[in-house]
Amino acid sequence: MGGRDYIDLLELQSRIKESIADAFPGRYWVKAEIASWSPRANGHCYLSLSQSRAGKSVAEARAMIWKWHYPTLKALFEEQTGQHLQAGITVLVRVQVSFSELYGISLYIDDIDTSFTLGQQALERKRNIERLQKDGYMDMQKELALPELPYRLAVITSNTAAGYQDFRNHLLNNPEGYAFQLDLYEALMQGEQAPASIMDALEEAAGEGYDAILILRGGGSELDLACFDDYELAIAIATCPVPVMTAIGHDKDLHIADMVANTFVKTPTALADLFLDAYAAQDALLDRLAQRIGGGLMRLVNESELRLSRAENSVSQAVQRRIGALEMLLQRIVGRISRGLLQKYTQVARLADNVQHRLQFAAAARVSQEVSVLALKEARIRATDPRNILSLGYVLVTGKDHQVLKTVNKVAVGDRIGVRFQDGSLTAKVDEIYAEHIDNNKVNIA
Amino acid sequence: MSENFDYAKAIAELEEIAAKVENPETKLDDIDALVARSKVLLDECRKYLRTVKEKIDSIGD
Repeated sequence: MGGRDYIDLLELQSRIKESIADAFPGRYWVKAEIASWSPRANGHCYLSLSQSRAGKSVAEARAMIWKWHYPTLKALFEEQTGQHLQAGITVLVRVQVSFSELYGISLYIDDIDTSFTLGQQALERKRNIERLQKDGYMDMQKELALPELPYRLAVITSNTAAGYQDFRNHLLNNPEGYAFQLDLYEALMQGEQAPASIMDALEEAAGEGYDAILILRGGGSELDLACFDDYELAIAIATCPVPVMTAIGHDKDLHIADMVANTFVKTPTALADLFLDAYAAQDALLDRLAQRIGGGLMRLVNESELRLSRAENSVSQAVQRRIGALEMLLQRIVGRISRGLLQKYTQVARLADNVQHRLQFAAAARVSQEVSVLALKEARIRATDPRNILSLGYVLVTGKDHQVLKTVNKVAVGDRIGVRFQDGSLTAKVDEIYAEHIDNNKVNIA
Repeated sequence: MSENFDYAKAIAELEEIAAKVENPETKLDDIDALVARSKVLLDECRKYLRTVKEKIDSIGD
């Protein structure tokens, strides 16, 4: 057996524990990155803290939060920073250095400085914004023109998000019946993996000919919005060839994703309204055009009617004037005619008088002439009166028609003839006829 | 409605018709045809806003 002095492990550990307790009597604010993080079923939370320099880990320590501190600390941190207490973030924590004989050194965390984290976030965010501005990413999306009537829409969101259902219902069940094509690209919308997941979806949708790509969060925890401040995601959105519209739904702050996007609104419903409004605006334009055309038509019809009635008026006035003129002319003519007629009548009447006079005169002359002719004739007639001749012994023989017979040719045998004497007449029957020369006409009377 | 209905062109034509109809120089005889045409265009445009279009672009690629 050697006579070496030794102590057992427990004693060693106990001494270390004592020295540590002496050397680090109080509590210290330590800045460190949370390297890993594991809340346990027993309620305590175990984590490891680390520090890196130039990408290399240069310090590491185990740490834990007792179950009586953990829920309060976690809630306070998340509420104030809007960020999960999780691996990868740098925090300022108050620690007590403790040493356990069984587990070695460990840092008990009993407080976290949230304002430090907020400052870190703000700083990081500010740096990112400045970089994006400097590199020209901020306005890239703004230069893309959104179609007047966006129709084919890609939606990047998690299918379970209540916001997506709201958006879908609001957009597709619109009362006007506007139609849209909506395609869902699922992605994680919170947590560490969210930026990469959203970027994958963006890349997938970008080549599909959409009118716009929408990034919707809507609903879910208010935590983990930090992913929408992610620098890489911001660049992916900025360089997307299709207009990207965001509705991340947090009114506390503008996210970098919102800033680089073509358009951003607060809620998915507001985003749906944006599209519906664009369609409603077109509808209103159509209504206005219809009104203009209808109004123009009405005006034209009215004007034409006015013109027509004016024309009608002037025509009827012209006709009236014309009729008046014609009537006047007619009256004048009638006047002239009647005057002329009167003149003519007097003329004719005078003429008639003349004629009458002349006629009377002529008639008188004629009468006296006739009277002397008559007297002459009477004398002549008296001289040739057959009765004078009859008294000389001649007779007048008449035929059956009491015509004086001057020839035997008009008499047939058996005819009855009359014979007139100076003092009477008799009838006789023709017995025989002897036709002679016209000078020696002889009538044999039976 | 045909797939290649050009909404923007239809709107432009409607604007033109409206301007013509509003112009007092336009004859009433011509208006008849313009108004009839505008009715067709308005109907088509309103239908267009409410019609599910085919994904011709992506099919063509």
